[in-house]
Amino acid sequence: MIAINHFYFKYPQSGKHILKDVSLQIPSGSLTLVTGASGSGKSTLLRSLNGLVPHFTGGEISGKINVLGKDPINLGPEQMAQWVSTVFQEPETQFIYDRVDDEIAFALEHAGLNRDEMQSRVDTACLFLGIDGLQSRRISTLSGGEKQRISLASALVTQPRLLILDEPTSQLDPQGADEILRYILDLRSRLDLTILISEHRLERVLPYADQMIYLPGDGSARVGTPEDILPQMLLVPPLIEVSKALSLSPLPTHPEEFPKNLTIQPVKETVSVETYAPPPALQISDLSVKLSGQQILDKITLTIHQGEILAMMGPNGAGKTTLLRAVLGLVPSQGARLVMHKSIENHSLNTIINQIGYLPQTPNDLLFSETVLDELVVTLTNHNLEMSSEEMLHHLKELGLDGLASAYPRDLSVGERQRVALAAITIYDPPIILLDEPTRGLDYGNKQSLVQLLQIWKKQKKAILVVTHDVEFAALLADSVLIFNEGRVTYFGEPQKIFTQHPDYQTQTAQIFPGSGWYRLEDVTFSRLSAH
Amino acid sequence: MTNALTWASWLLASLAILLSTRNPLLLSLILILLLTLGTRMTEPGSRKRWLGQNLSFIGTMIFLSSLINFIFTHSGNSELFTLPQSWFLIGGPFTLESLVYGTINGLVISSLYLTFAILNKALSVEQLTRLIPTAFYPLTLITTISLTFFPSIQERTAQIKEAQMIRGNPMKKLSDWLPILIPLMVTSLENAVQLSESMTARGFQTHTEDQKSPKGLVLLILSTFLVFSGWILSLFSYPSWTSWSLYLIAFLGIALLFIALSRKVKIVHLHKDRWTTADIAAALLFLLISLLMVSLIISQKTAFLTYDPYPTLKFPSLPLTALLLGLVPGAPLLFNLSHDRH
Repeated sequence: MIAINHFYFKYPQSGKHILKDVSLQIPSGSLTLVTGASGSGKSTLLRSLNGLVPHFTGGEISGKINVLGKDPINLGPEQMAQWVSTVFQEPETQFIYDRVDDEIAFALEHAGLNRDEMQSRVDTACLFLGIDGLQSRRISTLSGGEKQRISLASALVTQPRLLILDEPTSQLDPQGADEILRYILDLRSRLDLTILISEHRLERVLPYADQMIYLPGDGSARVGTPEDILPQMLLVPPLIEVSKALSLSPLPTHPEEFPKNLTIQPVKETVSVETYAPPPALQISDLSVKLSGQQILDKITLTIHQGEILAMMGPNGAGKTTLLRAVLGLVPSQGARLVMHKSIENHSLNTIINQIGYLPQTPNDLLFSETVLDELVVTLTNHNLEMSSEEMLHHLKELGLDGLASAYPRDLSVGERQRVALAAITIYDPPIILLDEPTRGLDYGNKQSLVQLLQIWKKQKKAILVVTHDVEFAALLADSVLIFNEGRVTYFGEPQKIFTQHPDYQTQTAQIFPGSGWYRLEDVTFSRLSAH
Repeated sequence: MTNALTWASWLLASLAILLSTRNPLLLSLILILLLTLGTRMTEPGSRKRWLGQNLSFIGTMIFLSSLINFIFTHSGNSELFTLPQSWFLIGGPFTLESLVYGTINGLVISSLYLTFAILNKALSVEQLTRLIPTAFYPLTLITTISLTFFPSIQERTAQIKEAQMIRGNPMKKLSDWLPILIPLMVTSLENAVQLSESMTARGFQTHTEDQKSPKGLVLLILSTFLVFSGWILSLFSYPSWTSWSLYLIAFLGIALLFIALSRKVKIVHLHKDRWTTADIAAALLFLLISLLMVSLIISQKTAFLTYDPYPTLKFPSLPLTALLLGLVPGAPLLFNLSHDRH
């Protein structure tokens, strides 16, 4: 059992407490979902349970924490490691060794276990997580999902009583994320583990959670069952939104729990005739990429029109990022690439980016200037363009960054930093925008702001290609969808079919209203619903 | 040949040979052998890329080293042309000898680089860190972080460079690299903090007893004193064995201290480094060669390995003993180099 009493914490040189008078209890063997906006203190709360806060971070602390009868504030993380294991957000940054078995055994080596016991525990953890064939592999050769499982195995091998997972599925495709969560659920039942998971995409974890800790951002923490907490939250998954609107009680946490006795009144189908097709902005035909002898992309053909948002989805390692890089000419490719009907085959990168703005997966890579405004100036200078301060400030306002022109970009929140990077790549108004995993690490609020921004750009006739694992986000935006697997296009067309029928990409709305054709919250017409 | 200590003895022998010779024929032979070894140790699909990258590095290194020596060293009899003496630093005769000397420097640097690159390929990070005495545990932490980070920093540099290029940075001038340095430094620091946080949370150094011992400190001071005494004696006309005896006692003292300190670190490694017959044979061979090289260096009998292009350039000779020693860095080619330690 975990008990926190009147806990306060303030980071060094910070003016305010990130956690303020937090008191809660977590029963043994439960799975607790920790949620809240970015910067609300989720990671701080989790790190205080294994002693990393304050031993690793420093800071002012008061109150009491009891984890399985131990006091992490006094014992520190090295001692707490005997009972508490932590899996951090990005597996890549927590790997110490380069071989799978060495990495998994790290904590055991330092606990001084005998070699046979160690080998047996490593074998068991690998078998349990389905990675027993990977033990002698180099970690760098593994996929994102496999790496995630290795970090889980490294945590489980010490046979902890408390497992802390900080956004364990943030980098995974829906199938990979679901697989990991099922493993975690299995662990709980087999090992009698207490599990704490921090996650932005509630829809992924809610079905499995016994209780929730909600950090509203004012330093406090609210704890209770999902039924208690969800009504207090402003931004929730579509299933909860619909259930709230229908005043369902208790609130379902899984689409299967949604009442089946609702019927949807049919409406007379109206046939709309498309009279105007916008001109294509980006055309790709038979694009192939081969790297180190391996076929990464195989004859990809697609078109994005002006004012269209295309969502590109597919499993980790399918070749989505490579396609974006190939469009820009950053990797050698074969096939045709046309922008506004003109081939860009022999164009330099500098010429191509005049028409295509590209936001990579880590927007931090773009930011280096002293102020947000300077970031825009740098891009303009690179493009030999000039712009008045007023125009730049207007651009910042459009992206919701007004008032931050003189802020240091790296001091901003995750969502703000991403918008600064977006401002930097769109200040010269490119007609085509490519976005690679733009919702990674974003909370619901930031995601909503991004959706609004992309819709504004769509109205301005920009062609937007978004690579994402976030099904709900893609469903909100996409005019067309492209599903990618092993370097090939497996589906390219209108979104409704994918989001209502494909088992891997079905949205929550489509799951709770099967056969309705609805896949977004905005599609739900409550007046057509009736109970039978 | 998979044992970390066998590879360490290979490194020792190779370094002893490489640092004792300036014979361009011998160095070229070693370089070719190291390139062959490195290529064989690379996965078949990536061999071409590895060879290409290393050849371009070696070419650049030799070119720069030759150019710098050619421009700034004005010794040698074979004058190619002369610039006025009044020209700061570069004024004077430009000679063939200085060009060759620079090329030899380039060959030495390239061979040293390849030797370490091969060691890095042969051993896992865990094996490499195990080569550091457990007494230096904090050092192991830093080494682990560096070894884990080096490839990721290269990867990050490429990613950030690409991100800046798609923002319109032409990456042509030196100042164009500034936008790469700041994100690289910040993300590297962030990643280093995350890694050390992960190590702490996973119980790094939990079972290490307190290593501060007054006896150990006394032994360390005494050993250091003996080393200095030996060095002072060597400056005067005392027989050389007196200095060497003091060095030996100091060495034993320090070794004892390390053993005692290492015993306090209770870490058990998952894999016992396997000793195959090939490993034992190779380790013995490399240790014998290392000892031979050390004795040759001490007795100053390494003339057969040396070559000096000054004052007048002449074609280097390659005695049989030198040729045989030159084959040593390539000796692992005779063994099975599988990575599998099970």
